[in-house]
Amino acid sequence: MEQSSTSALLQGTVLDLASDVVSALRSGDHARAGGTLARDGAGGNIARAAVRVLGADTLLPTALLRVPPDPGRLAVFKDAVTAHPPRADAAPAVVWSHWAMARALRRLDEPLPGPLAGDGDTEPDAAWLEDAGWQSLTHQLAVLAPLALPGEECAVTRVARRRPVDVARGFVRAVRRRDWQQAAGAGRWLTLLDGVPDTLGLDTGLDFVRLMGGSDPRVALQLEAARLMPAGVLL
Amino acid sequence: MTDTRLIHHVGVSAMEWLWAHRDGFRLEPDVDPEVGFLERFKPVGELALICGVLFREGVAGSRQAQLARQLLDHAWRETLDGGRMLVRGQRIEPFSPIPFEVYLPFKELGHSQPELEQATALNHRLDSWVRFPVNPTRRLGLSAFQRRFGLTARPPEADLVGTTWLARTPEPWTVEGHTAYDITHTVFHLTDWGESPDGLPPRIADYLATWLPVWIDDWLDLERWDLLGELLVVDACLPRPTLDERAWEGFAAAQQPDGAMPAVRTMPEGDPDTVFDMVYHPTLVAAFASVLATSRALTELARTPS
Repeated sequence: MEQSSTSALLQGTVLDLASDVVSALRSGDHARAGGTLARDGAGGNIARAAVRVLGADTLLPTALLRVPPDPGRLAVFKDAVTAHPPRADAAPAVVWSHWAMARALRRLDEPLPGPLAGDGDTEPDAAWLEDAGWQSLTHQLAVLAPLALPGEECAVTRVARRRPVDVARGFVRAVRRRDWQQAAGAGRWLTLLDGVPDTLGLDTGLDFVRLMGGSDPRVALQLEAARLMPAGVLL
Repeated sequence: MTDTRLIHHVGVSAMEWLWAHRDGFRLEPDVDPEVGFLERFKPVGELALICGVLFREGVAGSRQAQLARQLLDHAWRETLDGGRMLVRGQRIEPFSPIPFEVYLPFKELGHSQPELEQATALNHRLDSWVRFPVNPTRRLGLSAFQRRFGLTARPPEADLVGTTWLARTPEPWTVEGHTAYDITHTVFHLTDWGESPDGLPPRIADYLATWLPVWIDDWLDLERWDLLGELLVVDACLPRPTLDERAWEGFAAAQQPDGAMPAVRTMPEGDPDTVFDMVYHPTLVAAFASVLATSRALTELARTPS
């Protein structure tokens, strides 16, 4: 019972946080992205967990629009990065998500405390993506959508750039299966890639995803990112 | 690439089922006029078309070829009463293209029914036939059949290709079941049922090479075997078929031990005629996909330097 209410609370916090990010991306107004997140106690645990679900996208308005982060949110973000380094046996997507969060902090010139301070910008390995089928590739890339940023250069973006047709196939698959979050994440990647087949119809495809699934703020977040991407500030 | 034996076995097994259930290819002479006597001709025409493909490709084993020959003879002599049932259908609905469409593959395999030929020649002169109200893909098929019959296609196929859904190469994520069937039939008509893969304009072949894997993946997971089978035929019509291993293994696993291929998920229940009507088409499609894919796999093998 307690577990399920915690999980519902986390789910709600993730949606609230995603809504805040969407508002900030739409308005360009960082103040609107400053919804309060608890830092201490049980609320702090939930807040850090929610930030880890959204990952580096928590700071997306800063990355894309250069709006300074809300100090309270930044503090929780930092806590989330430092308090939960990935375990040695963590899945590659978890490791990469963590790397993307640490990268977001470094971009802000925020000093990383503790064990993260010394690991520089060492990239994890992306071999698991190289040989992934197009279905799995797209699924993984959608999970790692926070890495889909203009000018981002890492092993994951290099794989994505080499496989635009496969990502486009994955987008079609996700739309057909009504997996709007995956479709929106894949669509965000596609806005960054060269060599996407013209016949995909990406613009109308993204509008269709918005029409069908845009009421979920996690979907809306990816779609807003995709919308801002071509005009996005290079990192 | 899939093991050719697995692909081949699907077709052998399908022909066994079709032969064992040949009485299912039946007409209903006393049918309610509102339903129409011609309704039950379609399965017979499809059977003849697929058997024609089987002979043409020449990759069937002796047992499979023998079953196809027996099935064709049965359909012509018993079901169509030596073609007389086609004439009867033509007299009930003189301007319907169905008797002509069913007759063509039998004619190509050496059967003849002069009265139907005369009716076809007359209909071919009618403006009514040129504008017979059917969808663009069926119209393309009618013109292709006129050419194969030895007539001048009216309208010419070149004028019709661009009117099909596929020729527009639309957004691949909008493809639903009925669109997918339209795609497969456009490919069948453009390639003369797999005989001339070169009949696919390069732009369309590229479009299919890009998006067909997504549709195959999708309808495999949905266990829509009838449509998956047609998509596997399309794959075998492409310049570089993928002969997708996961799809072929799933397709083969859905086939029943007696060779029947369910249309969707698992075998339906009901009296034998009902089950036949639900299953004959996916089973024919299985034979069709198998023979084309086997043929393409063997061609690829022959090209591979040892």
